[in-house]
Amino acid sequence: MRNIGKITNRLTVSMQDFLFGKSLFRFLKTITLLFIVILFASCEDVFQVHPYDVRFSGETNINAHHIKEIEQRFRDRQTLRIAIIGDTHCWYSETEDEIADINSKNIDFVIHLGDLTNTGTTKEYEWARSTLDKLQMPYVALIGNHDFLGTGDNCYDAMFGRKDFSFIAARIKFVCLNTNATEYDYISAVPNFDFMEREIVADTALFDRTVILMHAPPFNDQFNNNVVKAFQHYTSFFPGLMFCAYGHNHSQKISTFYDDGVIYYGTDCAKGRNYYIFTLTPNGYEYEIVDF
Amino acid sequence: MNTRLLIFNLLLALTIASQAQIDTMDSPKYVQRVNRYRSDWESLIPTQFIIQNAGNMGLFSLGVGWDYGRKNQWETHLLFGYLPKYKSTRPKMTMTIKETFIPWRVTMKKGWEFEPLTTGLYLNTIFGHEFWASQPGRYPDKYYDISTKFRLNVFVGQRITLIVPNNRRKFIKSITLFYELSTCDLYIRSMIWDWKNEVHFRNIFGLSLGAKMQFF
Repeated sequence: MRNIGKITNRLTVSMQDFLFGKSLFRFLKTITLLFIVILFASCEDVFQVHPYDVRFSGETNINAHHIKEIEQRFRDRQTLRIAIIGDTHCWYSETEDEIADINSKNIDFVIHLGDLTNTGTTKEYEWARSTLDKLQMPYVALIGNHDFLGTGDNCYDAMFGRKDFSFIAARIKFVCLNTNATEYDYISAVPNFDFMEREIVADTALFDRTVILMHAPPFNDQFNNNVVKAFQHYTSFFPGLMFCAYGHNHSQKISTFYDDGVIYYGTDCAKGRNYYIFTLTPNGYEYEIVDF
Repeated sequence: MNTRLLIFNLLLALTIASQAQIDTMDSPKYVQRVNRYRSDWESLIPTQFIIQNAGNMGLFSLGVGWDYGRKNQWETHLLFGYLPKYKSTRPKMTMTIKETFIPWRVTMKKGWEFEPLTTGLYLNTIFGHEFWASQPGRYPDKYYDISTKFRLNVFVGQRITLIVPNNRRKFIKSITLFYELSTCDLYIRSMIWDWKNEVHFRNIFGLSLGAKMQFF
């Protein structure tokens, strides 16, 4: 009993010291302790550290996980039915409608052509992820130019993975390229020809045809237009190139950029309320433009 | 021995001389001017020390502040924040200039004061080559209409203050604990982009906790 009294007394005294500044050192110690507690509490999502903090919990390396699933499930398939979407930015309502429509259409997997965010903030990435996670099938997402802003590319690296990647399903190789050269002020290897060179010869036993996907198309303000011809040259080496698809322009457009006859499918943004469904069969492919 | 005495004498002589100078040259106008000059510069001495977490300024921020106005209803804070690495490539520093308006102050018993509303704006800047104030020249005109370096934030909050009684005061006059709910321009903008979707509406406001020490 006496001990408890003593302890309470000491506590009261130190509280008084703390409140009335008798000992600045002790006061600062208490404040520091208090602050450490707050810092631990900062792990919760109620605190906003910085828009470009790249601080998030939940799934990382999404593309790798989804690619694993796609390659397992569709390796031996004859026919694929895929949806190609892009430029969802911060139009969450439209994107949710788009996703609900895709979920109702018996699609094998979805390819997002980039611009998941508006300004590359970590929160926008988290919002994009939670929206896209409503897809009932696996998806992969490319990086768009908006996703680079601030520390956006760091966030993409952590959340989605490598900026150039590929996967094989139904003996078709899907080559996803980062073509946002302007974001690097043209001083980086974008588009990455080394990567393309490797992909042309890698796993050739496992695929006969190729689909190339990118955010910004050749001749665009984001593309390194010094190498548009070189780019076309490299694409021509891919076995059985079927078509290319791109986003960025916020308009649905089908064109051939070069005289080699390769069709580039321009994908609309979520606000435009349409997307592509491609049905890839052993003999060729069909596409439909779906309004939602 | 001799040199030490010499220095002492010299210092003594100087002090007397300068004393004499002030005595002879003192005019009321001169004193007034000197005092005003001094008080003008003195008003730049910070009256507050602030420590705060989160609030889009970094994990924590430290800084100084000034209070002014007829009822000390205005405060300006200058804060430096630390942003850890997290999943990016390196830690970063931020700097914030913050303006607070305190419309009411309720005095409670035993030296406690309560401020039911604090509100204001703050401009935060982050240091690092990834961020630009306006888009670099490599982009076509009006390509990006934002700055990634500067963020304008708004906040509302409440504070509670303990005033240290005069006889117990050593260095700190009062201690204030506060919380704020804040958000930044980018989040408001994304909300306006898609105002129908309330998924992110509750997510755009973040909590910030802090302490303020008033020196005088």
